[in-house]
Amino acid sequence: MNKLLKSAGVGAAAMLLGLTAACGSGPNKSDQSASAASSGSAGSAAQASAPANGGKKIKLKFYDFHTEAEEKFFKSLVDEYNRTQDRVEIEYSTFNQGDYTTTKLPTAFASGEGPDIYMISPGDFMKFAKSGLMADLSPYFPEGAKEDFLPASLDAVTVDNKIMALPFELELLGLYYNEDMLKEANVAVPKTWDELYAAAKTLTKGKVAGLVLPPDKGPYFNFIWYPFLWQQGGSVLSEDGTKSAFNSPETAKALDFWGRFFREGLSPKKLQAGPWEIDHLGKKEAAMQIVGTWAINRAEEVFKDVPINVAPLPIPEGGQAATDAGGWKFAVNGKSANVEEAAKFVMWAFAGDPQRALKWCTEVKFAYSPRQSVVEAGKDIYSKGMRKVFTDEIYNSAIPEPRYPSEVLDVVGDAMQQVMYGKYDGAKAAAAADPLINDALQKASK
Amino acid sequence: MTSRKTGSRARSEWLTAYGLLLPNMIGLLVFVFLPIAYAFYVSLFDWNALTPKSFAGWANYRELFGDAQWWQSVRRTLLFSVVYVPLLFMLSLLSALLLHAIRGRASGIVRTMFLMPFAITSIISAIIGMFMLDPRFGIVNALLERLGGGAQPFLASTSQALFSIIGVILWINIGYNMIIFLSAMKEIPADYYEAAAIDGARGFRAFWHITLPLLKETSTFILIVTTIGSFQSLDQILVMTQGGPMNSTEVSVLYIFKQAFELLNMGYASALSFVLFLIIFVLSLFQLRLLSSKK
Repeated sequence: MNKLLKSAGVGAAAMLLGLTAACGSGPNKSDQSASAASSGSAGSAAQASAPANGGKKIKLKFYDFHTEAEEKFFKSLVDEYNRTQDRVEIEYSTFNQGDYTTTKLPTAFASGEGPDIYMISPGDFMKFAKSGLMADLSPYFPEGAKEDFLPASLDAVTVDNKIMALPFELELLGLYYNEDMLKEANVAVPKTWDELYAAAKTLTKGKVAGLVLPPDKGPYFNFIWYPFLWQQGGSVLSEDGTKSAFNSPETAKALDFWGRFFREGLSPKKLQAGPWEIDHLGKKEAAMQIVGTWAINRAEEVFKDVPINVAPLPIPEGGQAATDAGGWKFAVNGKSANVEEAAKFVMWAFAGDPQRALKWCTEVKFAYSPRQSVVEAGKDIYSKGMRKVFTDEIYNSAIPEPRYPSEVLDVVGDAMQQVMYGKYDGAKAAAAADPLINDALQKASK
Repeated sequence: MTSRKTGSRARSEWLTAYGLLLPNMIGLLVFVFLPIAYAFYVSLFDWNALTPKSFAGWANYRELFGDAQWWQSVRRTLLFSVVYVPLLFMLSLLSALLLHAIRGRASGIVRTMFLMPFAITSIISAIIGMFMLDPRFGIVNALLERLGGGAQPFLASTSQALFSIIGVILWINIGYNMIIFLSAMKEIPADYYEAAAIDGARGFRAFWHITLPLLKETSTFILIVTTIGSFQSLDQILVMTQGGPMNSTEVSVLYIFKQAFELLNMGYASALSFVLFLIIFVLSLFQLRLLSSKK
C-alpha cells in the first residue's frame, strides 16, 4: 500500500505538471536481462558459489543512460559478468539521457524501486550521497587498486572519508580548431585569452563562427566555463565548500571574458547541434570550439577530411593552465539489500583487469582512465594524433569537475547568462550571485 | 402496468449509462483525482524524493508567495496565454473559413498541409520549428534576407524568444483546431445562408450573424481547451529554449519542472502545481461562465 501511495505521489507530480511527454520514455531500446549462462567461462573476479536462496539468483538492477557503442559495451560487460556468476544476475537498463537524472532515477528511488547500481554525474553527486543512496565502496576495492587511482579522482567522490562512487573516466577539455581556417586567416593557435579573442574575431566570417561555446544554461554550460575561473585561481565556493567565494575579481574577469564572445557575435547564441558535438568544426560551421576528449573519435572517423587539431585552453596573462576533468561515476545504492554483490560488480568492471577500463577509454570512446596502470597500458594509444596533445600538454592541468549542488549550478548559470546578454558586467553579476549561492547552499544542506 | 414498465426501462437506461461511464470514472479517480489529492498532501512536506518526507505544514505555500521567480513565470505564462489563445482562435477560424470555401481535391490537400505539423510528435515539430528559426542557418532568416530584411535572433533573444515559441506552437496547433471549426461549419444548414442571401446578407454579414453564433459551442470548447493548454505548455519550450535565454521563456510549468526534477524539491513543486491548478481551474470556470452567459 505504501509503495502504491508512493507511486501515486510520483504520478501525481507528473500528472499535475502535464509532463506526459517529458516523462514518458521507457527504457531506451534495451531493457535487457542478460541471460545467465553456465559459469564455465573464466572471469578474474568471478566469485562463483552455490545459490544461497533456494537456487534463485540475486537480481541486481543496473541503470544507465549510454547509447549506441557505449550501450553495447555495458551490455557486453554485464553479459560477461553474468556468465561468471551463478548466484548473481545483473539486469541492465538504459534510458534517454535527458530523462535519466531528471525523472528516471528520482522517481525510481521515490517509489522504492531504485536500481542497485547506477551512473551518477558530479552535478547530482551530493544530493544522492547525502540521501544515503550511495554505499561506501572503500571496503570493496581489490588489493592495491585504490593506490592505482589518481588521488584527485578519488577525492572528488569522497565524503566523510568514504569513497561513495567509482570514477571510471576523466574527460578533459581542449581548444579544437580547424587548421586550414587558421592558416588561411594567418592566425596562430591561440595560447592566451587575448589571442583567443583576437583569433575568434578574425575567424568569424559570415555564417562561420569564430568560437563555439555552449550557449544554454545547464551543467555543461558551467563545466566549460570553470577553467577560465580556475586559471586565475578563482573558485565558486570557499575551500571547505560551506560558503560562496564567487564575488571576486577572478570571477568578474572570467564572466566578462565569457560574455564578450556572445555579445560581440563571435560565438553563436543558438546552436543546431549540441555544444558537445564536434560537428560544428566537422561541418566547417566554426573555426574553433572548446570541447572534450570524447570528440576525438568522431573527429577522426566522421570528419577525417577536415583538418581538426587540438591545443590546451588559452590562459590569461599571469594565469596558470587549468582544464576541467569531467566524467560519470559508478554508484551502488546504499539502500540496496545487496550492496556487497553490487559493489563487487562495479569493482570487477573498472577496478579490476585494466583491459576493460582501457577498452572503455580508448576503443569505445576517448577519455583518460583515473587509473595510472590503465594509462600506462594504453601508452601507445594515448600518444596517437590529438591524444598526444591531451597526454603531454593538458592532462597535468586537469581539475576534477566540482560536485556543486544543482541550486548552486543554477545561480552560476544565471550569472553567466546575465553577462552574455549584457544585463550586468562580470563584477555586478558576481556580486548579485554571491548571496544567492549562500542561500542555495543553505537550501541544499537541508 | 405501463408506469412499472417505464420505471424499469428508466432503471435499465440508468444502469446502462452509468455502467458505460464507470470505467471512465474509475480511470479519472485513479489517474486524476487521487494524484491531485496526493500532490496536495505532498505539498505539505519537505521532500526531495530520495529521503523520507518531513512535514512542513504550509511552509511551501508561504515560500511561493515570496518567490519572485515563480511570480515572474506566472506573468510570463499569462502573457503567453493572452497572445497565444486569441491568435490560435482567430487563425484557426480564418483557416477553416478559407478551407470551407475551397471545393474539390484542393481542399483535401490544403487540409492535410495544415494538419501535418500536428500529426508529427510535438517534440519533432518543436525541433523542426527550432531549425527553421535558427539565426544562422534557419529558413526564416534566409527568407527575410532574400526579402531584404535583416536576420533575426529569434530563440536566441530575450525579447523575441517567447513570441518565437508562440509562433511555432501556433504552427503546430492551428491545423487541429481548424478541423474542429471546419466540422462545426459543415453542420450549419445551407438553407440559413440561402435565406440570408435572399435578405441581402452575404460575406462578412452572413459570417457575423450566422456562422459565428452557430459556432458558439465549438468556440467555447476551443477557447477553454487552448487556455488550459497554454498554461500547461512545457515540452516544446523545453526542447526549444529550456526556459532561456536568461529565463525569458521560463513559464510556470517549466519552473515547476525545474523545481521538481532538476532541484528535486518535490514538496515545493507540488505546492506550485497545486496553485497553478487552482489558477487554471478558476480561469476556466470564469471563462465558461462568461461564454455561456452570452446568449
